[in-house]
Amino acid sequence: MDGNGDHSAEPRYPDWESVYRDNVTRVYRMLYGKVGNRADAEDLTAEVFVAALGPLRLDASAPEVRAYLFTTARTVLAGHWRRTLGLQVTVLDGADERWLVDAGPEPAPPSTAPQRTATILAALPEPHRRILQLRFLDACSLREAAAALGITVGYAKVLQHRALKRAAALGEAGA
Amino acid sequence: MSTGRYVRDLLGGRRPRRFRADAAQAAELRAAITLAAARPEAGEPRAEFVEDLHRRLSEQAQQSASASAPTPSAARAPVPIRLGPTRRRVLWAGSVAAGAAAIGATADHLISSHAEPEEQTEAAGQVPTLEPNVGTWQTVAETSDLDVGGVRRFDLGSVVGFVSRDAAGLRAVSGICTHQGCRLNLDPGNRELDCPCHNTSFAVDGTLVRHQLYTPPPPLPHLQVREQDGRIDIYVPV
Repeated sequence: MDGNGDHSAEPRYPDWESVYRDNVTRVYRMLYGKVGNRADAEDLTAEVFVAALGPLRLDASAPEVRAYLFTTARTVLAGHWRRTLGLQVTVLDGADERWLVDAGPEPAPPSTAPQRTATILAALPEPHRRILQLRFLDACSLREAAAALGITVGYAKVLQHRALKRAAALGEAGA
Repeated sequence: MSTGRYVRDLLGGRRPRRFRADAAQAAELRAAITLAAARPEAGEPRAEFVEDLHRRLSEQAQQSASASAPTPSAARAPVPIRLGPTRRRVLWAGSVAAGAAAIGATADHLISSHAEPEEQTEAAGQVPTLEPNVGTWQTVAETSDLDVGGVRRFDLGSVVGFVSRDAAGLRAVSGICTHQGCRLNLDPGNRELDCPCHNTSFAVDGTLVRHQLYTPPPPLPHLQVREQDGRIDIYVPV
């Protein structure tokens, strides 16, 4: 038998509102981690719940319901990238599924993005790490980041571009 | 430069504009998205959004509860419409999907082309469902063979594929890679279908999970599946 488990003793949701309240933040965080902006994350989260709640069977256990929400989210995210950039920039994988399905009670844990970011930044040379830290995590403008690093705005722009390219290479290599 | 504009939008908290990216640009954007998503305040949904979506889902639930009885061939799909310059909304159009139980109800027999997320979120026709000119229902498993979370391969001669069950019910997809026609292998641990030819993998719902190709292959076609009298049947050519 392929991948079948006994979930008869698992907790169940009494109604769709419980499904929604228990999972909306988790699903949003998971998708935000894959698109990096609020507008897309909100749209995709709405798409997941609109698509999933209609056919949802409430005789399924809570982990099974979350697994179905994950499957729906993976499909929704794939459609988003097809529409916007024409290829899969990010995907929801097994680690994301475990994060969602195995999650304990509220509050929802942070997404996997902070750990992945820490791994990437730790592997970068100092100037690259600093510019990305200032621009992405500290929300500095290009001018503020340049001032903090003691470089021109023009060079800060170039440095950011090179740092992103290097971070991309590290990401592809599984840093 | 499209990548630079995309990153500026991300950093500015704006919805990034779409463009046709190549693999190198995608890798760069992947890194930018990971970094942007790690901001301390990221990932906290706005209370207004959570309540607004709850209201919309309540309305959807009421519409479903008052809808007419399902018919086997009916399909329901949300139509994305713009409400203002940047916000997208999804509304139901059409009748109740075959086998998609109204929210709160339990379906003893789900008959699919069941409410596939892909069908619900993409324009009609993006993911084809196999519909032979002359077909017949063929049994591929007993109900007791396929619990929630299970996946089974089947081979009916003219059609090979995989049938799976999740919290929404049954689904079936083709077992042939859409790239160059190699037969897919089941990875039960990850519930993925792997192509032995070019490192391509699909989810059991047919969605592309990963690939190494220049052009992403399309998702796997769906097959019509039903469950009755303790049997799971697939609709295939005679």
